Amino acid sequence: MGQSESIVLQLQDITKRFPGVLACNQVNFELKAGEVHGLLGENGAGKSTLMNILYGLHHPDSGEILLNGQKVHITSPKIARNLGIGMVHQHFMLVENLTGLENVILGLPTERPPLLDLEKAKARFVKLTEEYDLRLDPSTPVWQLPVGDQQWLEILKLLFQDMRVLILDEPTAVLAPSQVQKLFHTIDRLTDEGRSVIFISHKLEEIKQIAERVTVMRDGHVVGTVPVKDATPTQLAQMMVGRSVVLQRRPRLPVESRREVLVIDHLHCLNDRGTPALRDVGLKVCSGEILGVAGVDGNGQRELAECIAGLRRQTDGTIRINGELVEGVLQDTSLLGYVPEDRRKTGLVLSFDVAENLVMKKYPEKPFTNKNVLQWDRIRSWSDQLIEEYDIRTPNSMVPVKHLSGGNQQKVVVARETVSEPALLVTSQPTRGLDLGAVDSVHQILIRERNRGAAVIFISTELPEVLALSDRIIVMFKGEIMGELDGEKADVNVIGEWMLGHRSEKQTPIENRYDE
Amino acid sequence: MMNNPVGSDTKKPEPAPVPILGGLILSGLRPVIAILLALLVSAILILAYGKNPLEAYAALLAGSVGSLPAIANTLVRTVPLLLGGLGVAFAFQAGLLNVGIEGQLYIGAAAATTVGLIPLPVPPILHLTLAVLAGFLGGALWGFVPAYLKAYRGVSEIVTTLMLNYVGIYVVSYLVHEPAPLAEKDTFFPMSPPILPGAHLPILLPGTSLHSGILLGIVLVFVTHFVLRYTPFGFKVRMTGQNPEAARYAGIQVPRLLMIVLLISAGFGGLAGTGEVLGLKLRLFDFFSTGLGYDAIGVALLANANPIGVLFSALFFGALRAGANMMQITVGIDTPIAEVIQALAVLFVIAIGFGERVRVTRQQKKPAALVEKGSPQ
Repeated sequence: MGQSESIVLQLQDITKRFPGVLACNQVNFELKAGEVHGLLGENGAGKSTLMNILYGLHHPDSGEILLNGQKVHITSPKIARNLGIGMVHQHFMLVENLTGLENVILGLPTERPPLLDLEKAKARFVKLTEEYDLRLDPSTPVWQLPVGDQQWLEILKLLFQDMRVLILDEPTAVLAPSQVQKLFHTIDRLTDEGRSVIFISHKLEEIKQIAERVTVMRDGHVVGTVPVKDATPTQLAQMMVGRSVVLQRRPRLPVESRREVLVIDHLHCLNDRGTPALRDVGLKVCSGEILGVAGVDGNGQRELAECIAGLRRQTDGTIRINGELVEGVLQDTSLLGYVPEDRRKTGLVLSFDVAENLVMKKYPEKPFTNKNVLQWDRIRSWSDQLIEEYDIRTPNSMVPVKHLSGGNQQKVVVARETVSEPALLVTSQPTRGLDLGAVDSVHQILIRERNRGAAVIFISTELPEVLALSDRIIVMFKGEIMGELDGEKADVNVIGEWMLGHRSEKQTPIENRYDE
Repeated sequence: MMNNPVGSDTKKPEPAPVPILGGLILSGLRPVIAILLALLVSAILILAYGKNPLEAYAALLAGSVGSLPAIANTLVRTVPLLLGGLGVAFAFQAGLLNVGIEGQLYIGAAAATTVGLIPLPVPPILHLTLAVLAGFLGGALWGFVPAYLKAYRGVSEIVTTLMLNYVGIYVVSYLVHEPAPLAEKDTFFPMSPPILPGAHLPILLPGTSLHSGILLGIVLVFVTHFVLRYTPFGFKVRMTGQNPEAARYAGIQVPRLLMIVLLISAGFGGLAGTGEVLGLKLRLFDFFSTGLGYDAIGVALLANANPIGVLFSALFFGALRAGANMMQITVGIDTPIAEVIQALAVLFVIAIGFGERVRVTRQQKKPAALVEKGSPQ
């Protein structure tokens, strides 16, 4: 593919620090002309930060960027584009009400300002679509385009401006398999012309198929850059997840009698875009265990949690909690506790005070409501009790939760969801964005709930946490369960491979220990 | 339960400083500041007009609260603003903006008039009750289509309620033109026959036109306040208004709730028209409301959608309307200046509220930014 070995782009010793996090630590990266360069890493490994620096969205604290050997300062996306560096974001940056053509020329200089030069642009648009076999109609508004076509449009935007370096951030996430092959053909065309592509993906197969070299990142630094054809999946997974520091496994009580609390059969559902998010998921979770759900963000974990909570309708299959079918939002707090992924958007009413948020699911019950009148005295005194019990740091129960720190906000949610001692507790990324102290208290509460006899689901993209907490671990990939491991003896490298969608023969396929 | 209270050995999570008392005082003061600013700016306008603003405001005061008839006049003008403003505020609490009070007011008035014209063989108090009820239902009926479209089809209620205003106004216009059923025969101006005395809202102060609609309004202020603060239903309404997604997560059937709230809100709009026909006009006139329903939006906004606040802001608007005439007669300033003051007060209260929100979010951005950037992907 690559006709020349010349290096187009070099990132040298890039360091970027955010408050409390070292997002990129002395990162070195180089890109050859006509090369597809894979970029691999877990959520939070620093890939996006690095690419955002290259695209001018972030500015490095130190380090240099060399383009064709020349030192450049990329301070904005506009400068990046002028230098021939373009990016397709994972979440498309298109204006839905404008047509494809209008989106493509958006922000570009025109030859006769202030008027647009639509005719000429359209001719070029059509010519490019023919050249690259993209089949896009320039005059269709974007909102009428299927997701796959929106992806083509994003790429066309870059071609229209004749970009030499294209950054594609998980470009296949929204594509059907046949479209993925088409994308790869297009990428081949691009590299044949000497353009270079940085291809961010969590799918090993794709990286193996399209990339020549792959750079693996972990915890803000580059673990290594290897030629794809020499690397085994096991090796890559190890590079991605292998860690020197591992969280201590949380001590736990043995639980004798287990009974099935959650039973999911052949569950299918769609995501917000209307494409399949879960495919034939079968799952059983028992009392007294923590089931860790690992996987790269966006592989169906959120949809799974929402289906269990009744917030998302499945297209097929059944969910039973304690034998009861889930049909609609569950009201019974002694059956299900659910800590949603986004506490600020879903889990809390930020302008409500602590007591109102704590009573959000129990207010119609006695003693909080008596003869259809809310008993604020009772609500307040009960809230004070919970504030004490769960160590929520707030002056009193009348403070709006928006004034609490993230950790204390999460404690409000966790307190509300566990106080009724639910049979099943589903937690979705419950420690995201929390400081260490708060992470610790969330972990302790989950262990406490497990020891009490609750079935606990712990969904997280943080592998160390999954390993520290889980009795059993499943890994999700593209809406399917890749496999299951015992939490005590789980091999992090196997999890890493599964997260990337690779399953070697010797590994056990999906099996459910609790199947009759 | 937690035998090992964690966090005690680790640094942080200290809650952010809480400006709760200051916030409360400020939220109560905000409309007052806005009104003062509006009066100040209007004073400049009056000066530019070549008149003395102090004299003008003195006349305004005299015309609105200077005498018993003036007070009665203020209260009479307050009634529809109060009822309509409550409707807007109630919907606002659920996150809905009902700008269709004007249309709901007309249809409510027509419904109340219809019942008020039928010689029912019932005692007057019952006849009145039925007429008021009809007014509420008429308004609610006019809110039905927007409510349904909003709740179950996601169509913006702002557009639908606004558009139905015109339909409502002209439906009533049709009804009072001959040969339509509600039209009085051979009149110089389109109107209905006089409403039967049994369905009149009793006069509170003999010799003035102060009718008991004001009592209905005040009672409903406190009912609304109580419902919002002290009932599970009100809790649901506020939760939905503040965060519909969290409301759904907490098990509330949001569409159904929105439907009910908008119907009630429109019913309040109907009551605003009912008070006018049963208490003041005693007939249904063509184009009888000159934008009362739109002023009601200002009333609710000035009060920050707080029901008790609505009482005060409706009184303020009512006083302006009552005093403007006196200002015109004694100082020679045209009545539209009252509308300018109203509009400025609403603008200022929005501006102050907006400024506050910007400040609060800026304060919150600090820890939030840390959280967001903490996970750079």
